[in-house]
Amino acid sequence: MQLQSYLLIIGMIGVGFGVAIALVLASEKKKAKTKQSSGATAHHTQAEAIDTNINKIFNDEFREELRNRGRLHFEKIIGENAMFLQQDLQLTTSQLNDYMKQEITKTLKEEFTKYEQSINDAKQLAIDSIAKTQKAIEEQREILGKQLDEQVASEKERVLSRFEKNMADIVNHYVLAAIGNQIDLNDQLEFILGELEANKKDIIEDIKNGA
Amino acid sequence: MAHEILKLKITNEIISKIDLGRLRRELSAIDDFIIQSRVRKAGQQPTLPRTSLNLEELAKSNKLNLLVDDDRKNLGLTLTELYSHAPVMRMSFASEPSPVFLKKIITWLRAEIHPHVLLQTGLQPGIAAGCVVQSNSKYFDLSLRKHFEKNRGLLTGGITMKEPSNG
Repeated sequence: MQLQSYLLIIGMIGVGFGVAIALVLASEKKKAKTKQSSGATAHHTQAEAIDTNINKIFNDEFREELRNRGRLHFEKIIGENAMFLQQDLQLTTSQLNDYMKQEITKTLKEEFTKYEQSINDAKQLAIDSIAKTQKAIEEQREILGKQLDEQVASEKERVLSRFEKNMADIVNHYVLAAIGNQIDLNDQLEFILGELEANKKDIIEDIKNGA
Repeated sequence: MAHEILKLKITNEIISKIDLGRLRRELSAIDDFIIQSRVRKAGQQPTLPRTSLNLEELAKSNKLNLLVDDDRKNLGLTLTELYSHAPVMRMSFASEPSPVFLKKIITWLRAEIHPHVLLQTGLQPGIAAGCVVQSNSKYFDLSLRKHFEKNRGLLTGGITMKEPSNG
């Protein structure tokens, strides 16, 4: 930044010096043109006079004065421009900051919106998937429950049927195992005679047929 | 001959064909003794065969004299006829029946079923209680198992009453 300022100052000093020389030469050339008509001889003399006058006017002090003035003037201009430049720079920086903030905010908002949308989509997808899975599980559970109930009922029916069918054998086996050795035939006499009495008619009929 | 059978009163000590066979052998022994006593000289008489209580009771109940040839012959023929043609009932029990028990059974059978019925016993330990009766062509299961089968509804009802409630 400082290097650029120095180069700018030096450039402006050079330009001012050139402008001053050009103005002096222009006035002298104007005077020479008016006197051109006086002859070629006089022309040479006049040229020398001009050079002398120029040297008188632009002596070292005057040149130094011009340099000083130019330096001061350019320093002033440079100071003013530097101030303007600083203000512009600050303004630009501020605007740039605002712009960057806005852009970043906008970009972030867009990204966050996209991100949020993606999250919402993924969330909705997961919810749908979970709902489908739950529905499938519930259906499977109902089917399995129904099958289980049917199998349990069938098995219960089968066991009950088998138990009822073989109940006499089961109870008889139990009685035989429990008190089989303790049953006396004399105690059974009444039962046996009762059963014979109940089948008496059939027995008589069979014996008669056999005889 | 059937008429003779009908006239014979069988004591209830005679239960099976085995008893009849034993009586026939005893009668035969008496016949042999009588014949031998006739052909032998005095002082060489064979010993009198011992008769069983069954034979004595049978003769007594039918008013027969076993020393009389005709009575003995008729009794022998009748016993042979009975052996061949008397109705036989086969009864199987869970354990070996005692003679007293069999006498009670045969008494009932001869009083209620047939006066000359004979009994053949067997063993079926699996029936637990009761008996299985087989006559000429029929089979009567009078066992406890059959009794349970007949009263299966009662057993099922009892189980249902004992079944815990679902609530």
